[in-house]
Amino acid sequence: MTGARVAVLGAVRSGPSYWFESLGAMLRWYLTSMRLLLPVFVVVQMLIASGFSVGISFFFEEITSEAALFLGTGASIIALILAGVVVAPQLIASEKDAGTYDFSWSLPVPRSANVTAWVMLNAVIGIPSMVVALVIADWRLDLDFSPSWTIAPAVVLALTCGTLIGSAVAHAIDRTSITQLISQVFAFGILGFTPITYPIENLPTWLESVHRVLPFYHMGVIVRGGLTDGPGEGIWASYGIVFGWTLAAAVATALVVGRRR
Amino acid sequence: MTGTTMETSLRRGWGYWWASYVSMIRWVLIQQKVLFAGIIFTQILLGIGAAIMYKFYLGSLDPLAATFLVSGIPALSLIPVGFVMVPILVIQEKARGTYDFTWSLPVPRLAPVAATFTVFTFIAMPIAALSTFLAAWQFDVTLEISWAVVPFAFLASLMASSVGYGMAVAIPEPRMTNLITNVVIFLVLLFSPIVIPIERFPDWAETAHRVLPFFHMSNLIRSSLTEGLAANVAASLIILIAWTVVGWAVVARVVGKRG
Repeated sequence: MTGARVAVLGAVRSGPSYWFESLGAMLRWYLTSMRLLLPVFVVVQMLIASGFSVGISFFFEEITSEAALFLGTGASIIALILAGVVVAPQLIASEKDAGTYDFSWSLPVPRSANVTAWVMLNAVIGIPSMVVALVIADWRLDLDFSPSWTIAPAVVLALTCGTLIGSAVAHAIDRTSITQLISQVFAFGILGFTPITYPIENLPTWLESVHRVLPFYHMGVIVRGGLTDGPGEGIWASYGIVFGWTLAAAVATALVVGRRR
Repeated sequence: MTGTTMETSLRRGWGYWWASYVSMIRWVLIQQKVLFAGIIFTQILLGIGAAIMYKFYLGSLDPLAATFLVSGIPALSLIPVGFVMVPILVIQEKARGTYDFTWSLPVPRLAPVAATFTVFTFIAMPIAALSTFLAAWQFDVTLEISWAVVPFAFLASLMASSVGYGMAVAIPEPRMTNLITNVVIFLVLLFSPIVIPIERFPDWAETAHRVLPFFHMSNLIRSSLTEGLAANVAASLIILIAWTVVGWAVVARVVGKRG
């Protein structure tokens, strides 16, 4: 009895190997504790994203292959962004409601490993939804797309940025109903008022300037760059802006989850 | 003394029905103040948002397509109220326990139902009108409004509330009702021939929409806002009345039962 206790206390609780062990354990913990909820979220995300491209395509009497490509890739990018910005806070809110939240954060793992596990959890939701949305859009709209290697960093960056923004909000706010409401506002804003499935020129000038600062339009630019013709004109600026937001959101998340209560 | 007077007072007839109806309207309004404020707020936001959103998605539109879109906005605005807000109200009442209380009151059983429909119609209609004018301004469309728009919009609103209410009282599991309302919103906003011509849909979807009420709501209202853009208006009118009757029949069956 006493021996085992001493052994645990004596174990090294720092260093890369401890960090990666913690990450693996947290990932297992989240996947197991959400095994019922997760498939539902994945399916709903897939339906929204694939329904989106098919539904919007009805609005056009004749759709040009360029517009179709914009719409199809846009719908799959939206699936990716929604997974981070909307689903992540909703999952954290549901953890708070269920009471597992305090437990998860009381575990003896580095908090950065815990946050990384969250980002990876959102990849489990976001990436399959994105792929399914793309396949459905291709079937319906006959897309002419050619992925390049830049898709990998673009997806990782967009997903990380979105998840960190979403989780900073969800960690900071204690009332889960407020978090749910904010996530709905995010969904509404991203689906309707963010130039991802339509060109930014369709927006009024003031809203265009807002989107040149916010990360969501730029997430669309970098992921679309990876799906179509590789890095194009001005794409590096977009990478820079998304990266900046990722850093800011990481700092915000660190401040929120790092505080002692 | 007072008890005797109560027991002998008349509990039937038009006068009693009207008095019950009025007091039920007050009851519906008082118990859900916050919900109604929330509904009005989100409806205005959605109505205004939808018009602006479509403009972003579509860029510029030819005048015919724009007129078609704008004349579909009233139906688009009425649908969430009847098919989503009304069921949410019933779910909330069930969760709070006021549902059973309401049915235990000594009023004719259809009085609370009629009161709910009245309140929702009075919320839905002005917002639908506002959204439509806003969309017309956004897309620079001149509508040819005829007097028929009032009864047609009223019928569409009544139909939506009746079916939504019937669904919510008939389905015992609130989560199921919630799921159905979410599906309705999704299908209606994306896959429904409300703001786009029905011919553009695949055959099976077109067939389904000739039976479902959503297309007919928009077709009927469109006939009173435009010249020559709506066809088979009589059929739409009959189908909407049929759906209203079905809604009322379900409600009457469920609430008329002795529990």
